[in-house]
Amino acid sequence: MTAVADKPNNARNTSGSVMNPTSVERVAGRSDEMLLNLGPQHPATHGVLRVLMGVDGERVTKAIPHIGYLHRNHEKLEEVRTYTQCIPYTDRMDYVSGMQNELPLCLAVEEMLGIEVPERAKYIRTILFELSRIASHMVWIGTYMLDLGAITPFLYAFRDREMILDIIEETAGARLLPNYFTYGGIRRDHHPRMMQDILEFLTWFEKKLPEYEALTIDAPVFQARTVGVGVLDPQVALNHGVTGPNLRGSGINWDLRKDDPYDAYPHLDFEVCVEYGCDAYSRSRARFREFRESIKLIRQAIAQCPKAGAVLPKLPRLKPVAGMERYRAVEISRGQLGVHIVADGSEKPWRSKHRSPSFCTLQALADMAVGSKFSDAIAILGSIDIVLGEIDR
Amino acid sequence: MSIYENKEARLPLERVQVPTDNHYRMRMKHHGLLNANPRKSGLLNAIIGYALLFGAAHGVLILAFQVIPWLLITLKLERNTFWFNVVYGILSPVLAFLFIAVVALINILMLRKYLGKVQNRYGPLHNGPSGSLQTVYDALKLVSKEDYTPKMVEETIFTLAPVLVFVSAFLLMAVIPFAPGWVFANVEAGAIFIIAAGTLGGYGVLLAGWSMNNKYGLMGGLRAAAQLVSYEVPLSISLLSVCVYAGSMNLSKIVEAQQSLWFAIPLFIPFVVYLVAGLAELKMTPFDLPEAESELVAGFNTEYGGMRFGFFFVAEFAELYLLPALLAVFFLGGWFPPSIPTFNIPLLTEWAGGSSTLLLMLKANISEGEASSWWNTLFQPGGLLVGIQYSFWFLLKGAAGVYFYMWIRATLPRFRDDQLMELCWKGLIPLSLIGLLLAAVSKLLPAVGIGISILVGSAFIFLIARGAFFPSKQVKA
Repeated sequence: MTAVADKPNNARNTSGSVMNPTSVERVAGRSDEMLLNLGPQHPATHGVLRVLMGVDGERVTKAIPHIGYLHRNHEKLEEVRTYTQCIPYTDRMDYVSGMQNELPLCLAVEEMLGIEVPERAKYIRTILFELSRIASHMVWIGTYMLDLGAITPFLYAFRDREMILDIIEETAGARLLPNYFTYGGIRRDHHPRMMQDILEFLTWFEKKLPEYEALTIDAPVFQARTVGVGVLDPQVALNHGVTGPNLRGSGINWDLRKDDPYDAYPHLDFEVCVEYGCDAYSRSRARFREFRESIKLIRQAIAQCPKAGAVLPKLPRLKPVAGMERYRAVEISRGQLGVHIVADGSEKPWRSKHRSPSFCTLQALADMAVGSKFSDAIAILGSIDIVLGEIDR
Repeated sequence: MSIYENKEARLPLERVQVPTDNHYRMRMKHHGLLNANPRKSGLLNAIIGYALLFGAAHGVLILAFQVIPWLLITLKLERNTFWFNVVYGILSPVLAFLFIAVVALINILMLRKYLGKVQNRYGPLHNGPSGSLQTVYDALKLVSKEDYTPKMVEETIFTLAPVLVFVSAFLLMAVIPFAPGWVFANVEAGAIFIIAAGTLGGYGVLLAGWSMNNKYGLMGGLRAAAQLVSYEVPLSISLLSVCVYAGSMNLSKIVEAQQSLWFAIPLFIPFVVYLVAGLAELKMTPFDLPEAESELVAGFNTEYGGMRFGFFFVAEFAELYLLPALLAVFFLGGWFPPSIPTFNIPLLTEWAGGSSTLLLMLKANISEGEASSWWNTLFQPGGLLVGIQYSFWFLLKGAAGVYFYMWIRATLPRFRDDQLMELCWKGLIPLSLIGLLLAAVSKLLPAVGIGISILVGSAFIFLIARGAFFPSKQVKA
């Protein structure tokens, strides 16, 4: 205890070692604080996250995320693989929206080598990118409602997500880890029925969206559990580098699809879904509005997509010049996923650094959760929609 | 030579054939997702399954209230003599246990099937018709598991807690009248007994959470305690209103007082309060804070396994039937078939006794001595067929209540603990007090009291639906 007292007083630090807390601060006039080890095996941690929580009764006094339980060394592995071999690794980071993860790497290398992507490939990429966003947000609905104690929306959401995965499987050959985008476009042309299937799915999904809204964001109990819960101040969010629907739920208009457009996005008309409540409810609303925007985007992209044409140009040798580097970020369903590639003249990247959105978002957990109820802490953890595979990489 | 070594076996990308069969569509069709109809011929199976299970529940009741007393009478033990009471008193807990076990098994199955229906999936399907034997296998599995006690627990209390919870459900069961005369213990102060027995289960949960030396368990136990003091008060007050209106605390007499008019109409407010507070007593979904699985892993039963957990489980699902059953006793006319002033659903035996010539002929063909014995056992009030019909309506009302609670469970997310307390202390307690007052008023001035009570109750339901009792409202952006 004495050694701890000498340390500078950090409001969010535990006494004792952070990893292995031995004692608990006793504050005069307060009841005992209990350290609760939430995870790495816990139903609400969305993978293998461990959150060290101090709880005073039901009140959360500390929330320290410990990560690394799912670390698989992807960045290092990419350094000993050729550029083409790198793409499957990106799938495995954010496995909930695998297809979206391939894009920043492709864009960065395309820019390094000056590869011109055919129009058709750009549109197909965009369509699948937005379809993955819907699938990913469906997983978020399901797991978030499980966190809040409702089981039914989970099964509804996964039912409809399965249709998207079937479409992706038909075209790319795999459901979750498709390995479909590549440098210069897409690996092969899509399944002949894909566009029709997608349009059919969108019709179905538009019919089902009001049902989801009635079960979630329009339900009084859901609003009671989320409105005013987990307030993320816009400045705090910016300081932590929070992006995606979490940032837009805090009232900041920042969307790379608009601010740094790529692929077919410059030709498409859509709205950035900004909500001003800064709480879990706003974040949820932002995601729900993105469903409709994604549907709009996909419809436009399918209409504009060239009916025929190449999807993969003749590629140069994938061997960027030594010292060349490129950072490219895209707006995946969780926020800004960036890839920083440094080339050394060989066919393997010298360094590949991924800037993952969930990693930054998780750092804001303590700012949102400390001081709230324990149940709210779970609601907050669910509302930021993290994927541990992407945090640990 | 593998395919990777054989260069000729690898096709250039352009020549890879994409399969053109439409298995995506086929799969959607197979799952019935396109028309959202997961089952084609499940209804008949389900009816057979439920008929079997309700037959079992009925069978236990008949065994308990007709066959065993009849056997005792044939053994020259007259009803209400000392030795009859002793022998029947020893047998009745066994029968009550049998009924609880059957009802719990049915409820678990019903919940799983119903949730499956709601959630576009099948639920148990393989064991027995429509999966009706699945819970039997589950129960056998629990029984056959190792009786395990973790090392650091408070052992006496850890062992006692599931027993307390189970005994609570057991005691509730003892005073429920299933049909006229079909009750294990006809307690005069039945309503008070029910409040006491129901609270006992809360103690069990609290002690379980405290004794297991687990942080999640402790939080679950404390939440259960907070929940108990919140819902128990409005629940008790609403039962009190029933007693005031019926003029008795005996459950059989309360039911008999509802022959012409179910109490749900004059006592609408206590009825609503009981519905909500009963949900809290069941620890079901909007109020499942003590075992909130996404927050507290399993809450108060985290460390329990095998049959110790089984006791909690059986008690939970027995209560899932017993609370709606009590709802039927207090508010929905107990064993009486649904009756509104202009239309009565008559009991079959009333027809038989009155006009059926066939039965009259039957009656004429037998000797007088014989008639008085088997005719009475079958068709007279207190007889077997009368009892079966009455208890059929009773079980049906209970099942309707169970489905209502399951519907809520399938739909709603969970409240926070302070929201539950807010709802109970600021919403339900004042409301139940108004209900008590109006019960007294409608006893004296029926039209005024009933009118006001229905108005206030409807307003309350509307307010709940609008989320009026929850601290945070939706903010407009």
